Amino acid sequence: MLVPPLPVLASIGAVRPVFLIVMGICLMIFVWRLAMGANDWAARLMVAGSLLLGLGYAVILPLYEAGIIESLNAGAVLENPATALAWQAVKLVVMNGGWFVFGVGIAMHAGILPSPATRMATSPRPEAVPLPQATPVPHP
Amino acid sequence: MKPLLEAILSNGLLLDAAGVLGLGLIGLSAIRLSRRERSWGGTMMAIGAISLLAARLFILSKPLLASGGVFQALGSRTTYTLMSLPPILLTLGLAGIVWGLWAHEKWLREGRD
Repeated sequence: MLVPPLPVLASIGAVRPVFLIVMGICLMIFVWRLAMGANDWAARLMVAGSLLLGLGYAVILPLYEAGIIESLNAGAVLENPATALAWQAVKLVVMNGGWFVFGVGIAMHAGILPSPATRMATSPRPEAVPLPQATPVPHP
Repeated sequence: MKPLLEAILSNGLLLDAAGVLGLGLIGLSAIRLSRRERSWGGTMMAIGAISLLAARLFILSKPLLASGGVFQALGSRTTYTLMSLPPILLTLGLAGIVWGLWAHEKWLREGRD
C-alpha cells in the first residue's frame, strides 16, 4: 500500500491504528497490574480476556487497517479468499470472545456474577484470595 | 471448507451476541463499581462501555437498517454522519475503558496501602 507522506499522518485514519496498538497494550498492562497477586477466577478471566483483546487490538485490527489482511466486505475482490475467510474467523473469535471473557471477569470482580473463588473462600484454601484485598503471592 | 471454520463463520450471530453481552457486563459492573465503591474510574469505564456498545449495535444492525430502507429515508447527509460515528465511538470507548481501568487499579492500590 502506497502511503502519501505528511498530510495523512495528521489524519484520524492514520493515527487510529497507532492509538489502537497503544490502547491494546495499555489494557493488557493495566489488567495485569490489577490482577497481579490475586488468583481467583475474576483475575484469571480478566487476564485471559485482556490478552485476547490485546492480540485483537494491537495485532489483528492494525493489520486490517494497513491492508495486509484483506477485509471480507461484500462485493470486495479478494486475492486470496481462503486467507481472508480464516482471518475473519480469527477476528470474530478474538474480539468477541475477548470482550465476553473480560466482561465476565470484571463482572465477577464487581460482584455482579458470583465468583467461584469467593464461594470457596469459606473452605480451608488459604491461597484463594479475592481480588480487592489481593496481596502479592510469592512464587513457589 | 473445514467444519470448524464453517461452524465459526455460520455462528457469527452467536459470537456477536457474546461480544455484546460482554460489553453489557462491563458496563453494568463499571456502574456498580462507581456507585458502590465510589471509584471514579468506574464512571469512565461505564461511559466507554456504553459508547462501545452503541457503536457495536449500530454496526451489527447496519445490514438490517439498509435492507429496511431507513438510510434512503434519512437522506445522504444524515447517513454520512451516522456512518462516520461508529469508528469515533469505538476509538473513544476503548480509551474510556482503558482510562477507567487505570483509575480503578490506582484506586485499589491506594485504598489497599
